Amino acid sequence: MSSHREAPEISKDPVADSTDVYAFVSPDKPNTVTLIANYIPLQLPSGGPNFYEFGDDVLYEIHIDNDGDGQADISYQFRFSTTVRDPGTFLYNTGPIGSLSDPNWNRVQTYDVSVVAGGSSSTLGRGLPCPPCNIGPRSTPNYAALAAAAVNSLGGGISVFAGQRAEAFFVDLGSIFDLGDLRPFQNLHLIPTPAAPGVNATNDLNVHSIAIQVPISTVTRSGRPTIGVWTSASRQKARIYDADAGEYVNAGPFVQVSRLGNPLVNEVVIPLGQKDLWNSLPPSDDKKFAGYVTQPGLAALLPVLYPKTFPNLAAAVAAKTPRADLEAILLTGIPSGIITGFTNFTGPVLADMLRLNTSIPPAKSPSILGLLGNDPAGFPNGRRVTDDVVTIEIRAIAGLTLPLVDTHFTPDGAAKVVTDFTTAPTIDSPPMNAFPYLGVPYDGFDHPS
Amino acid sequence: MPSHDARRASAERAGDPDPLAGSSGRRLSRRSMLHTVATAGAAGLAATALGAAASPAAAATRHPSPGSGSTAKAASGPLVVHVRDARSGDIEVFSGTSQTRLRDKDLAARIARAAG
Repeated sequence: MSSHREAPEISKDPVADSTDVYAFVSPDKPNTVTLIANYIPLQLPSGGPNFYEFGDDVLYEIHIDNDGDGQADISYQFRFSTTVRDPGTFLYNTGPIGSLSDPNWNRVQTYDVSVVAGGSSSTLGRGLPCPPCNIGPRSTPNYAALAAAAVNSLGGGISVFAGQRAEAFFVDLGSIFDLGDLRPFQNLHLIPTPAAPGVNATNDLNVHSIAIQVPISTVTRSGRPTIGVWTSASRQKARIYDADAGEYVNAGPFVQVSRLGNPLVNEVVIPLGQKDLWNSLPPSDDKKFAGYVTQPGLAALLPVLYPKTFPNLAAAVAAKTPRADLEAILLTGIPSGIITGFTNFTGPVLADMLRLNTSIPPAKSPSILGLLGNDPAGFPNGRRVTDDVVTIEIRAIAGLTLPLVDTHFTPDGAAKVVTDFTTAPTIDSPPMNAFPYLGVPYDGFDHPS
Repeated sequence: MPSHDARRASAERAGDPDPLAGSSGRRLSRRSMLHTVATAGAAGLAATALGAAASPAAAATRHPSPGSGSTAKAASGPLVVHVRDARSGDIEVFSGTSQTRLRDKDLAARIARAAG
């Protein structure tokens, strides 16, 4: 998955588990960028009676580096607070929820937003409402309107939203973690079976999204249009269960337990023994993990799992050719001169961040393959909710992007077509055209059906 | 055992302006830290002070029954003491959003004894 359950420790703490980060120039407000951080993976929509919610004890942040040092220059912080109106009932809602202030909604969550920049913190909003989860036609009969009411304008051109949305990430989980199987090509697998269409395993599931839309001018420096974006979740160091109160109590400074910039990096690039450490560190420390990017294990696995399918990749792996292409895509941004008219280079500091060149306008006809599809407004220039990051990264790791830095290398034919064959149209609740862009979450009554 | 001043100087070097003060400004002392309900773990000892009224002896005597800890949550929130290494006296104190690290063999030994 992009970063769902990607490391041993965070997989046990879903409330703090970041799943995806998106950063793109807003197509309907091109003077702004939209930053989205998703948490709480693989939500079964019918998962009541205690439906999903953010952690009141978690510090959620979306960070921006705008000078290329891999450290946050601007951090948007989100803290949540939950109120139970009637503890005498087991019900999440005691009747239809018609508005965000409806007394029928029994377990209400609100949040505060602040921004930390230049060493000082300012509050942007207090007590902002989250929408409830999408329960079903009796409880949340007009969910789209309910969620729309939870989009808050904070002044200064800033909008925020925090709450449940439809999962926009698409991937064939069931196959890819079954020894790297890709159903459309599984007839070529070391353990072959007949080729078959891909299955979008995350379809009909929900996530919790934190989305903020801000003017580009407030997050970039003069002459530096490219920003680096990542999210983190932190918990206080000491946590003890107060059995008499029936709750956890926390003390001490916040420490980072989850991090996410580029999709799939901690998931399939960082080895198992380093994943928890990676989650605890800032991007500026990523130099110590650079070897896993320039010599990725998946690149070595593909020729083994698909014999005779990736001979050129196998030769490059055997020659220990450093993957400067992957280093550029994931750790520095792509310097100018590599791809005509494009750069999202932030400097020599190796840091896993989603790099967005904000001077590139939104595409009129986006390609889900982003830059690989000749669409510079998409991944790895930031990431839009429809970008097929699984296919883009598999093809890149398979060697498709290696000629960018090694003109003698010829990609295997398979590298041009390899995919897990799950695409955005396989998502039942499609993305929206306006903030917060992610689709209406699936309701629990109908999902699963 | 280092003096309070020595501990303060040590922690100030680590960036804490007053290592003997909790998040509410309440000064910590060996006595207040021993107002604890303690549990022992494999890697160390963790002790919480959810209430401040009990005496050290009372806290120790209340510990053996699991779940019988103090119920009154201090207004300033919990204070958690983590004895990282009883032999060297390496102690961490968590309060509010602050953390203080002490090295006090005598205090660590007393907490260990209180933990049973």
